[in-house]
Amino acid sequence: MELVFDYIVRGVLGVFFEEGGSFIWLPVFMVFCGIVLGIVVGSTPGLNGPFAMAIALPILISTFGTSNDALLPILGFLIGLMKGSTLGGAVPAILFNTPGTPDAYMTTLDGYPMTRKGQGKKALKIAHFSSVSGDTLSDIALFVLAPTAALMIESILGLPDKAALIILSLSFMAAVAGNSVTKGLIAGGFGMLLALLGSALSGDGPRMTLGIPALGNGLPMTSAILGVLVLGEVFIAIENLMRDRHQSARAVKQKSVDSRLSWREMKDLLPTIFRSAGIGTVIGALPGIGTTLAATLGYEAEKKRSSSPERFGKGAPEGVAATEAANSSVSGANLIPVMSLGIPGNFAAVFLILAVEAVGDFTFGPQVFRFTEIRELEGYGTVINSELVIAFGIFTLMMFGNLCNWTLGRYVILSMGILSRIPATMTPALVLLITLTAVYAQDGGLIGVWTVLGLGLIGYVLRRLDISLLPLVIGFILAPQLEALVRNAFSASGGDPFFLLKSPLAVIFILLSVVIIVRAIRNQQASAPAALHASHHQKE
Amino acid sequence: MKRRWEIGIGMFGLIFAAIALFLWFPNDIQGDFMETTRLGRVEPGDAFFPILLTAFIGLMSLIQCVSSFLAPHEEVKPDAYPHITLRNLLFMALLFTTLLGSLAITFTLGPLVVWLTQDGITYRQLIDTPPFKYLGFIGGGFVLCFSLMTFSEGRMRLRSALVSVALIFLLILVFDIFLSNIQLPPNADF
Repeated sequence: MELVFDYIVRGVLGVFFEEGGSFIWLPVFMVFCGIVLGIVVGSTPGLNGPFAMAIALPILISTFGTSNDALLPILGFLIGLMKGSTLGGAVPAILFNTPGTPDAYMTTLDGYPMTRKGQGKKALKIAHFSSVSGDTLSDIALFVLAPTAALMIESILGLPDKAALIILSLSFMAAVAGNSVTKGLIAGGFGMLLALLGSALSGDGPRMTLGIPALGNGLPMTSAILGVLVLGEVFIAIENLMRDRHQSARAVKQKSVDSRLSWREMKDLLPTIFRSAGIGTVIGALPGIGTTLAATLGYEAEKKRSSSPERFGKGAPEGVAATEAANSSVSGANLIPVMSLGIPGNFAAVFLILAVEAVGDFTFGPQVFRFTEIRELEGYGTVINSELVIAFGIFTLMMFGNLCNWTLGRYVILSMGILSRIPATMTPALVLLITLTAVYAQDGGLIGVWTVLGLGLIGYVLRRLDISLLPLVIGFILAPQLEALVRNAFSASGGDPFFLLKSPLAVIFILLSVVIIVRAIRNQQASAPAALHASHHQKE
Repeated sequence: MKRRWEIGIGMFGLIFAAIALFLWFPNDIQGDFMETTRLGRVEPGDAFFPILLTAFIGLMSLIQCVSSFLAPHEEVKPDAYPHITLRNLLFMALLFTTLLGSLAITFTLGPLVVWLTQDGITYRQLIDTPPFKYLGFIGGGFVLCFSLMTFSEGRMRLRSALVSVALIFLLILVFDIFLSNIQLPPNADF
């Protein structure tokens, strides 16, 4: 226990002090800046946290470099963006009935009716209190569960087990994200193949380049992910705006008649917040499920428990609290698979992984939480797991981010109403130009632009065909790791074709993957017409 | 057939897998599926993982085809299954024409102005000299931003032009003036 405490103290101090003992302000200042910008981004219709993280990454790397010292300031800013944008997303949903993200749609159900009743500011205060509470609770779950899971994984899993675990995660993701598991798995397979372009492990020269020399180093990762996630969405947004331009609605300005949120009201909301945060944390810890389901389940659970469910949808404060606590508590818990396994569970986590891969020697994975005995060796220095110190530094930055959200966040979101008035017709074009400029700058030329446009086209087609993007993106990120694990496990088994079935744990993971896929296919067949009817009616 | 797009997605995956396994990989991967090292050990080559992966894509595509074909026939509106319409294709054609047009302006405006105004100097010699280094970015960026805002709003507005210009100058400020070690389009390609 003393050793754990020692690492925690070193991690916390590492954020605030240099090795020489002098105070450093940069990491916490970057969290602060990230929070403010994140709230601004979240409050602006058409913008979201992952987009801002993607654009910020090349700028941050260009500003701070890729040394170990740059890691905490860069991660601090990205964590701030992630947290701030989660909080800010409630603003347009509550004040203007324009959810920037699908999960914020649930916030509009009671948030906007509150605004119409003149309680817009009160709804924002409830959203702030619930969102930051949910975020903080899920961060605490992360701090406890990530090291525990990592220690278990590190001590139990061998090469085939780790490969089988990644296969299980991808199968689970394909099964739960989107309407069709087979289409999700096909997309995941394509994502993996895209990641293999250019690279080769054996030194035989680049592979699968289609004769294009620029692909010799592979597809630029940030450009590829930005293409699928951001440009695909931008193309859809522009097309929808062109189709629906005659329907552009304007929010009616409501005079605020009740903006006070008393201590008693906050206390009454606490049970709702705890329940929803619990739901969000469990959902968030499972890769791929995401905030929308958490918000929906949190809301529905609260409505079911309520003695007066008829108030929901008509401006019930519990409705706002339940959705905001649930969707915000996903963000911290989503980092559990990232920190313990190196497997991203959502799009924000993807950009944290990209930052860590580009900057310094630190990498996410079970090895981070190895509690090595701290010893002083004469003539050598201190023997310590420096990655563990950095991990506790990251946890410290997250708590500082929560502190900023608790204190400053409240005042910032209350003043962000003006941003929600930015016309939705402008943001897609602005986002497109910013993205093209950023990828050109990041990848030093046209290769980034062609990649982002090509993958943007793929992202557009997948969205139009209702195929989940998450398996493609996560497959793209995990393919090199999975290939190395599979090849090494195969070699270590002495060339046994059943190398993945030699360890009992690997067998369990592979069997679970098969069960998940088969069940999902059967469910998909049984529910397809009904689901399609539902989605069709929703679109109409 | 109402589910033709669902079956089509599976067919696309199957055809892709067949082309990749029998045409693409044999000609574009130098390593083999399995290789023997100098020590006589058999190890996976560079084709090992791509072939496994593509076989998996093929298998999933086959399941997609078969399961879509065998799915119970219930009355579903013909356009209920997600699909791409002619309208979507026309939109993409318009969008990519605008994008490629803007890129063409970005890459040619600077060299063209230098060719017209500077004797014996190429654009390459001026890629770090204002105002030449900004010309392509300003021209192409404005056309892209303003066109897309105009498409979205259905009419040309002064507000769109002003916002486009403001964003372009903000991007120049951030990427060229604030950050010194990166280049704006198109200067890294000259």
